[in-house]
Amino acid sequence: MTQAERLYYRDDPDEMLLRPLDGLTLIYHRPSGITHIVDSPVPEILAALSHEPLPARLLLESLSADYDLEGEGEALDNLAAHLEELCALGLARAR
Amino acid sequence: MDERKEQDQGAGRDGDCEAQGVPGAGPSAGNARRRLLLGGGLAAASAVVSIRPALANTAASVLNCQIPVPDPAKGMGQMIAPDGKLVPKGTKGAFPASSKPFTGEEVKAALRGGRSLPGTSYEQNRAYLNYIRRLQNGTSGFTCYASLQMPR
Amino acid sequence: MRHHLLLAIGPARFRIGSAWRGPIDALRRLYAAYPQSSQDDAVADFTVRLEPAGIGRRWWRPSVRIAGDHHLPDAVPMALRHGLLAAEMGMNLQMALGWRRHLLIHASSVEKDGKVLVMAGESGSGKSTLAALLGERGWRLMGDEFALLDFATGAIHPFPRLVSLKNQAIDVMRREVDDAARFGPLMAATPKGDIAHLIPAAEAVSRMSEAAPPALLLFPRYGHAPDIRAVGEGEAFMHLTQASTNYVACGEAAFTALHRFVTTVPSIALDFSSGDEADRMIGRLWREYAG
Repeated sequence: MTQAERLYYRDDPDEMLLRPLDGLTLIYHRPSGITHIVDSPVPEILAALSHEPLPARLLLESLSADYDLEGEGEALDNLAAHLEELCALGLARAR
Repeated sequence: MDERKEQDQGAGRDGDCEAQGVPGAGPSAGNARRRLLLGGGLAAASAVVSIRPALANTAASVLNCQIPVPDPAKGMGQMIAPDGKLVPKGTKGAFPASSKPFTGEEVKAALRGGRSLPGTSYEQNRAYLNYIRRLQNGTSGFTCYASLQMPR
Repeated sequence: MRHHLLLAIGPARFRIGSAWRGPIDALRRLYAAYPQSSQDDAVADFTVRLEPAGIGRRWWRPSVRIAGDHHLPDAVPMALRHGLLAAEMGMNLQMALGWRRHLLIHASSVEKDGKVLVMAGESGSGKSTLAALLGERGWRLMGDEFALLDFATGAIHPFPRLVSLKNQAIDVMRREVDDAARFGPLMAATPKGDIAHLIPAAEAVSRMSEAAPPALLLFPRYGHAPDIRAVGEGEAFMHLTQASTNYVACGEAAFTALHRFVTTVPSIALDFSSGDEADRMIGRLWREYAG
């Protein structure tokens, strides 16, 4: 399945400016100049991404090491959907 | 004013978060790890709200603007179909061009659903509004429409 | 252009050019107390031009097209008798599209005890009339149309233009202000309704370079039963990005300035049905949040 082969990463942590607001997170994305207001799990997913391109399943493992994902039957599919959305917004990259 | 419920939900914040950090990112110290809900599907879409550059945001509210239906430069001799597209003269079910442009205020009131555009029947009003909703950058009336700050 | 005038308002300088003398004379009288720059040394931030809207329209059914450094297409030409309004709208447009030195928020602002009350809202919310009213009742008017937020300090800078009063607000302020000379001509049936301008009180003009920190943000709504509600930081942030004409253009500086603003300044939604009522409610809120 092509989706399982997609590798996700972030270019440069400095390209985003993060600020907490009202239990949410504001993100100023420098390359695009666009402001995003995001809710959990987006900040946690962004924090799990790094320079190193990784498939969604490895990112999921990393998140389960840090967070309780119990009861998440479709965790991998859900994570992949989030990652794709982040790529569409330019906040993450994939290949 | 939009009511955006997701903004007012207070998700739990870690007590030791720096002002510049991300609330809740990073596991809590101690035995209990923080729950992370991945959701997905519709939930994925609602987790991000982006501030789009609104063209002439509020700037044109300081100016009185108008929207011709259709753009005289592009719609000469054409009519407005019920879905708002421009169609050749004589097309069945289509409406003629408006004899005069509508003001921003008139369009705003019609889009809100209160009043039809002046001088139009129910169906004609709907066709004209569909035309207006399809306006693109470069077409006469676009900046006026964009400045009405109607939610997308 | 045939007739022109240089105006300094807050941190901005405008050069107004006009094909007709009338609007320039009106502006010169109404802005008489403002700093007059000498024609030689002044450098204008913006040019506003009142031009004939078409061949022959300087004399026959004279019609004004608002032009300048920045412009928007789709604008409707205005009758010459509304030329003063056209000039004011032209200045608004230049600021809205071209100002980058501060974050511009569509809001009125008044100052008391060295702190600023900012009132954000659309036309009709009552923000301009409230500011004008408070400006006659012990507050210093800083602006009725735009609040200027300093990127570095977070302070609000004055931008005290002529207060634009619409319809019933004209009567409200005529009752409030004794001196008829402080009012500009009544322009009836403009595209925005009946309009008259009010010259800000002398102190507002003389102190137009004095910025001050914001202490309270209100979202007023005129024409509702009195009510006060806290507004969340996230909601306030969203509203203000929509109420700012240059948030996106100013990039990262706007982001950090607006975040700091909403996290340090409490936000309240205020519904009211009369100016006196709002004055009382604001008095109580001010003591609670800025006292």
